Amino acid sequence: MAKPVVLTKDLKKYFSGKRGVVKAVDGVNLSVPGGEIFGFLGPNGAGKTTTLRMLATLMDPTSGSITIAGFDTAKQPDEVRRHIGYVGQNGGSDRPATGVENLILQGRLYGMSDQEAKERAQELIKLLQLDDFSDRIVYTYSGGQRRRLDVAIGIMHRPDVLFLDEPTVGLDPQNRANLWKEIIKLKEVGVTIFITTHYMEEADVLSDRLTIIDQGKIVAEGTPKTLKKAVGGDCISISIEKQDELGNKLIELLKKEDYTQQVLQDSGYIKTYVKNDAAAVTQFMKLIDQQKIKLRSIVITEPSLDDVFLKKTGYSLRDKDIEGDK
Amino acid sequence: MKTLHDTRLLFWRKMMETLRNPIYIIISMLTPVIYLLLFSPLLKKLTIPGYSSKDILNLFVPGLLVIVAFLSGLFVGYNMIDEVKNGVIERFRVTPVSRFALLAGRVLRDLTNTLVIVVFFTLIAIPFGFHVHILGYLVLLILVALLLITTSSFGNALGLILKDEDRLSPIVQGINLPIILLSGMLLPMVLAPTWLQVVAHFNPAYYAVVAGRLLVAGHVFQAQVGEAFLFMVPLAAVVVIWATKAFNNALS
Repeated sequence: MAKPVVLTKDLKKYFSGKRGVVKAVDGVNLSVPGGEIFGFLGPNGAGKTTTLRMLATLMDPTSGSITIAGFDTAKQPDEVRRHIGYVGQNGGSDRPATGVENLILQGRLYGMSDQEAKERAQELIKLLQLDDFSDRIVYTYSGGQRRRLDVAIGIMHRPDVLFLDEPTVGLDPQNRANLWKEIIKLKEVGVTIFITTHYMEEADVLSDRLTIIDQGKIVAEGTPKTLKKAVGGDCISISIEKQDELGNKLIELLKKEDYTQQVLQDSGYIKTYVKNDAAAVTQFMKLIDQQKIKLRSIVITEPSLDDVFLKKTGYSLRDKDIEGDK
Repeated sequence: MKTLHDTRLLFWRKMMETLRNPIYIIISMLTPVIYLLLFSPLLKKLTIPGYSSKDILNLFVPGLLVIVAFLSGLFVGYNMIDEVKNGVIERFRVTPVSRFALLAGRVLRDLTNTLVIVVFFTLIAIPFGFHVHILGYLVLLILVALLLITTSSFGNALGLILKDEDRLSPIVQGINLPIILLSGMLLPMVLAPTWLQVVAHFNPAYYAVVAGRLLVAGHVFQAQVGEAFLFMVPLAAVVVIWATKAFNNALS
């Protein structure tokens, strides 16, 4: 594995609020290899943005250390700043200026000459397909266009790593898919990307490597494939009639079966993770039959990152997000 | 060097904004004209010690110039909040750009705009009967600039720290009126009872107004002019340092 671009050691950020100390980030160790897309997945309030803000030198950690491109954020913040690009949740493009002006200013703030900055801006306009609107004032941009400009601004100075904080929040599905394509394209031209998201599809599609965070602590890490594989075989989700009465008994029975890995209740469904075994589903159905249980619905799915999250934390990423949005 | 380079870049970023939308500066130019047309006629029949009805504008205009500078600076916090919300400030803070330049670029743009408005207004006031002493007026412009640098830095830092219009409004509105009334801009503080005069001595705009009236009459080497500088220079320095710190500190 290549030398890590981002390395954190026992990173902590505590906030003292009215109701005592909030451990927003609580002992996070990260190692992000160069040339990859590194996904940082977790529900709202898990500590993703706080971590990212510390990595981007916007916030000092309570304790722990961060090394980026070989520089320590506490001791050499300006060196770190030269080597990172950052696109915050709110973007960062200056609305009353044009796209090109935004790009050139960014380049010049990193010490490029006017000529260099202009050339690099044209390069990025081509790469991220900003041609149609780069000469217009940013006020006139659509959400998707602005996002693409934000990303271009973030890589104007050819950083070692680009931090993207929830880049697709607020975008419609089509624009989201477009931005995914652009992000993958950036990886192909050699940019290391650190992306936070609470959309598991996004983490699944984009990440080469993934870390899942919850309540300030890392709960899982690996490639999306290995993480899902570790959950086991397929997941059989059922809802049954008289679930209140029969549910618990059924769960107890299922837990005793050979093919069962884990049984969980999740938003009205009983989810049984079975071993990688084609016969498992047949045996499962046999048990349902024997118990004379009437199914309302049954869905068999391959494990998703949500299943990974559910298994590690005991609750679903989806439920947590609905709570978080309230 | 780097600070200068960064300041220049960030100054032009804001200046382009003004040049693209000159309507704001045009509206700002109208405010003093409205005062001149709708308020200054009221002063004609007033008897104020030291001023005849002919040179009453020499009492009124310096005060107005000072207040224009004061207000143009105080309200910049709203624009700052807009940029905080759009992530612009955060974007700059992730770059190695000089933190002082982040402030200075904005303040210098505000200063340029304000000086344009102030000079424009002075020229308009001359045919109405305002007569200026050139040297005194130039010194007054320096005082006006000091005041603007102070209030613009203050307004920007306030916006950066509060990050929300609803929290900014009560503060700037709360400061606005007492500062104007206690500056003696509308009526000289000589008419005020002693306690009010004492309170006025804590108001930077008061010093600028008193000095301004002396300066336009050509009294450059008066004690009150020195007093104004003695009060304004350290105040501006303290506020600028504090505002730069606000850009430097990690804000959540």
